[in-house]
Amino acid sequence: MSALLQIFGSLKLTVILLSASMVLIFFGTIDQVEYGIWHTQKLYFESFVVAWQYPAVWPAGDQLTWLRIPMFGGYTIGGLMLINLTVAYTRRFSLKAAKLGLYAIHLGLMLLIVSELLTDLLAQESQMTVPENGRANYSQTVRENELVLIDRSHPEHDRVHALPTHLLKPGRTLDIPDTSLRARVINFYPNAQLVRAPEAKSPANRGVAAKMGVTAIPKAPDYSEKAINTATAYIEILEGEASLGTWLLSNVLDERFPAQTVQANDRDFKIALRFQRHYYPFEIELLDFAHDKYPGTEIPFNFSSKIVTHHPDSAKNQQALIYMNHPLRYEGHTFYQASFSPDETATILQVVRNPGWLLPYVSVLLMGLGMSYQFGLHFRKYLKKRNTA
Amino acid sequence: MLILMLIQNSPLSLKLLTLSAGLVFLVSCDRTKPQSYTIPKEAQAPATPPVAPKTETAAPAAAPANMQILPGMAEAAQAAGALQFQTPVGWQKQAPSGIRKAELAYNGDNGSATITVTVFPGDVGGLLANVNRWRGQAGLSAITAAELPQVSSQRIISNHRSTYVRLPGETQSILGGLLPFHGKTWFFKMSGDTAAVLAQENALLQFLDSVLIEDPHH
Repeated sequence: MSALLQIFGSLKLTVILLSASMVLIFFGTIDQVEYGIWHTQKLYFESFVVAWQYPAVWPAGDQLTWLRIPMFGGYTIGGLMLINLTVAYTRRFSLKAAKLGLYAIHLGLMLLIVSELLTDLLAQESQMTVPENGRANYSQTVRENELVLIDRSHPEHDRVHALPTHLLKPGRTLDIPDTSLRARVINFYPNAQLVRAPEAKSPANRGVAAKMGVTAIPKAPDYSEKAINTATAYIEILEGEASLGTWLLSNVLDERFPAQTVQANDRDFKIALRFQRHYYPFEIELLDFAHDKYPGTEIPFNFSSKIVTHHPDSAKNQQALIYMNHPLRYEGHTFYQASFSPDETATILQVVRNPGWLLPYVSVLLMGLGMSYQFGLHFRKYLKKRNTA
Repeated sequence: MLILMLIQNSPLSLKLLTLSAGLVFLVSCDRTKPQSYTIPKEAQAPATPPVAPKTETAAPAAAPANMQILPGMAEAAQAAGALQFQTPVGWQKQAPSGIRKAELAYNGDNGSATITVTVFPGDVGGLLANVNRWRGQAGLSAITAAELPQVSSQRIISNHRSTYVRLPGETQSILGGLLPFHGKTWFFKMSGDTAAVLAQENALLQFLDSVLIEDPHH
């Protein structure tokens, strides 16, 4: 065991991991040109292993695309680095005043790695659109989608049964939570184009597809910064072993289209594939949206949203003005001014939830204090030496 | 259990090693899981437009069913010429929103209806595709190009030739004009309960006759 600890706590491993992270960052940066920041982050930094592929657009790309370089992903490097630091820290730890600064620096670094992991695991980012004089109680993210069945039968509330689309693998049958129904995935396309082709043979026999002759043609997903993919699926709904029908669902078949309905034995459900939503126990009302431009130009110098929150506990209601660098922190969420609808009648707020947001500050503070302490110590020694000389 | 025993009986460094390895293992767990939750009753058609980051992406060509309304399209709508019209008697003018250049609402004993005016770049998939899109919304089956004359006629809107279509459905109906106008297509659409829509056809025709679009080309 001590041999294992020696390997995990060795400086050699530190150097290897630092080199591996440089390689990862180098190839990640190259691929970012093609895939955009979001996909690159998933591919390189939120993975255990990754293989870089020679880009087809580079010189001689058509002959060299077989060239792949496998490397460790961010999780492997970060995880090993944390283990390496932890083991080294505890093996060599002894309470000496001369080394307190070093310990603080290392502790700060460990905390930074843990906080990154926590952010990755727990942080959520989404957008909330609030029309002027209207309210919103949910935000959504255009990167992720969900299959939902909504039971509207109750007079006072709706019940949402949601399955994230990463579970939708063709051929798989999934229980729809809290219902007697199951969903069989006939096909799922991360991106597709919907076309009208009444003559085409479609697996769907219910809803919009059957009524309007709409068919999905799969397309390569677009990972660039601003692209929105048309996630589309053919889903068969089963009650027991009986099929209730197959629907074509897509995030472009939204509220502009007639709702698609599943008629189960005891209840009707609205069925849809939509951008993943996060609901909140409070509502945000937009009182006023202001968009100031430099006089005589179309260049904005400020846009702001005057909002009021409506919480079931009215003591928590508050009014706020959200603008650049002045977000609203409310109920564990941060609301930033992100954008607005083109006709300026609705504001778009970026909603960020990151329970670990304080950790990086603590870790940087620890590292800063540790460095100051260590430098201070050396400086004192130097002064002493000079005075005695 | 084994991990707990290991942690209890091992030196500090081994405890920390196990804990950090456990933390790394956590990463491989799925984050979003199937779930059920209750939300306040939602209106059938929420007022909020679909959220989309500000984008320069052009409107997807053709394929009307895939008519994804991106802010780029809405900006094109804003860039289109100004619109003048007279509100028919019995109708209320609503504030234009999102991609809508104008919106009118009617509420009568025979049901309710709305008139919306939208404009998009290009031909948005062509006349047949758009008529079939509207037919789908009215609960009608798609038709072929040969059947188009049965539901459409020519009509002048804002001094340009347009196609006027009548799509009476069982419960919902759509009547309206599609106007190609200097590289863009304007949609004047009355939709709503069949009884109300059919009773208000004259009001729609008066509205269409009163429409004047700003035309820098003439």
